[in-house]
Amino acid sequence: MLDLLAQTGLNAVYAASYISLVAVGLVLIFGVMGVINFAHGELFMAGAYVVVAVYADMHMPFFLAVIVGLLFVGFLGLLMERALFRPLRDNPLGGLVASIGFLMILQSLAVMGFGVRMEFIPPVTQHVIWLSDGISIPLARVYVIVASVLLLSALWYFLKRTRFGWALRASAQDPQAAELQGISIVQTARIAMFIGAGLAGIAGALTAPLISVNPHMGHSVIVTAFIVIIVGGIGSLEGAIIASVVYAFVHTFVTTFYGGVVADITGLALMLLVLIVKPTGLFGSADRA
Amino acid sequence: MISKIMAAGLSRRTFLKSTAITAVGASLPSMSLAAGEPIKIGFLAPLTGAVAAWGKPGLDGCEIWAERVNAAGGIELSDGKHPVELVSYDNEYDPAKARTGATQLIREDNVSFIMMLGGDTWPGVQPVADKTGMLFSTLLPSDLSPDSTTLIAPTEVHPIYLVTGVDYLADTYPDAKTAVICAQDDALGLPSVATYLAAFEARDIEVLEEPLLFDPATTDFAPIVTRLMSSNPDIICLDTCYSDYVHPICEQLFQQGYKGKMISATADFYDQMIAKTSKEFMEGFIFQFPDFDDPALAGDNINFEDANGFYEAYAERHPGQWGAVSWEYASIMDLWKAAAEKAGSADPEAVITAMKEGGTGKHAFGDAKWWGTELFGIDNALVGDWPVVVIEDGKAVIKGFKSIPDWYDQHGDLLIKHMQAYDQMYDQRG
Repeated sequence: MLDLLAQTGLNAVYAASYISLVAVGLVLIFGVMGVINFAHGELFMAGAYVVVAVYADMHMPFFLAVIVGLLFVGFLGLLMERALFRPLRDNPLGGLVASIGFLMILQSLAVMGFGVRMEFIPPVTQHVIWLSDGISIPLARVYVIVASVLLLSALWYFLKRTRFGWALRASAQDPQAAELQGISIVQTARIAMFIGAGLAGIAGALTAPLISVNPHMGHSVIVTAFIVIIVGGIGSLEGAIIASVVYAFVHTFVTTFYGGVVADITGLALMLLVLIVKPTGLFGSADRA
Repeated sequence: MISKIMAAGLSRRTFLKSTAITAVGASLPSMSLAAGEPIKIGFLAPLTGAVAAWGKPGLDGCEIWAERVNAAGGIELSDGKHPVELVSYDNEYDPAKARTGATQLIREDNVSFIMMLGGDTWPGVQPVADKTGMLFSTLLPSDLSPDSTTLIAPTEVHPIYLVTGVDYLADTYPDAKTAVICAQDDALGLPSVATYLAAFEARDIEVLEEPLLFDPATTDFAPIVTRLMSSNPDIICLDTCYSDYVHPICEQLFQQGYKGKMISATADFYDQMIAKTSKEFMEGFIFQFPDFDDPALAGDNINFEDANGFYEAYAERHPGQWGAVSWEYASIMDLWKAAAEKAGSADPEAVITAMKEGGTGKHAFGDAKWWGTELFGIDNALVGDWPVVVIEDGKAVIKGFKSIPDWYDQHGDLLIKHMQAYDQMYDQRG
């Protein structure tokens, strides 16, 4: 039983890692730009397809493909900011609808470029770390966990300790006041989109060899990310990380001990419970809710 | 007046049926063809989305089939030969889109026959079939019911062929006495779960816990595999999981150190599974769909013309794309062509009558009988032998053909019991 609990715990740590990367990116975009980016799951998908193209098809090193994934999807984020969100800055509903349209475009491009079926990605490594006879974790999953911790730590440092980070936080708290202080709202929006999209892209790239890469893979990711950011409090980065961990552990343990369908219901019930007890989410503030 | 007719024996159901038949005559487009005019066949299946792997390879196979038939002169009806033309519609495995597609194929494209994957999409199409009388085929006999007389399952007899794999497993590995099952919670997964439960029970293999059902949107299978392995089973059954699930589940089983037997309905693209695990790990993996280069498919019992040549053409045109359905829709077209030529007409009613004449038919894997009243309420499934396939030294090998009706004659009550428990009998489905 202890082995089972420990194995399930390791599975949950992995799930929390990639979910938190996606959710934090989504929160950052919403926090700075006030836009719910429905195409965020497709940005995750785009990162995975970069790995298909660069690693699986062109046989370049995997970690190079991951970096390309981060940069490519980051630049996709810049494109979205310029083409979709900036013209619709005063129309949050317009931005949301535009992101849904962009979602469909990205899915169609994936179908046109790679076809409809699951992509085969050669394993990055088949090495498995055995902690005991019944407890193991594949090295490829450890990469995801380590990358998540490093990237989120770097993001925390960037936001708390650098001038750009302060500007970003100021824009998120009060855009007009920040603009009066000489902070370029356009510039902070660009930075937020690049980082937010890039985090989704790198999550997709890192997990691509471990999951089924197909044009519709973003759907389940965005649903999970929405649950997480609602539980954590829309706009709260700390809330997104903590909610990712809580959701991943609850979902993984319920899947293991009660089944996958029950786990999905439990995840939604958790969100509803939080909304009933604290409508702004665990760490959300009333003005962002 | 109506009450008098009812009292004379015309039930409400009969009345509605008669009305529907009258409506068919008015609603079906003309089925008569000018000499040499192409016969259009509808292909209404998922060509994109998560289930595309069970649609698109089938269309690719049908195109090869159509080229072969047209090169040989086409389909010979009473008024002469006609080339065949496929008209495809991507239903994305969505019932509403499937209904739109069926309507378009019938009304605008004037097709004579429509092939479907079935499953979740059939309920969307059923009213169109009822209204128009169009002949439809499904790969899933679990779609059949006595209410739909123009729906046939002439090739794949999912899920009942699964019993043959379990029989082989029990015969070959008598020490394997415990099993666990996982499946996606949908119209493909649930009847398959019921069938595996019956097949395991018939061979005294204990299923250690309730089948683990997961959301079709699942991407991370580590928790599911941890759970499956937690009871230390001799056999892990992957049910009728889509290849998007079979691959990551097998990879997780490998990474979490599973050593037992594995059985699944399909193992599409098994070479990729081997690449992600190992040849040794996949050795002995049991499933139900052969590669058509298998020498066993050149036997006299096989009714699929030049199966090995078909595989060669497919592999050349779509390298690495061969899957469970690559041959199935083409095999349906073989049966349809034979029936249409026998009837001398592409009219749906004439074709189905000719197809079912004598109660037997030439199924791809041998002569079979139209069957299914007990299970589906109607004899519209063509059931006979089905191959058991095993991965040996990295290659799928047919280990033999086993009779489904023979199994059912012995254990049919078990199958019905489990189908009822999962609400999968024809009279339980909504």
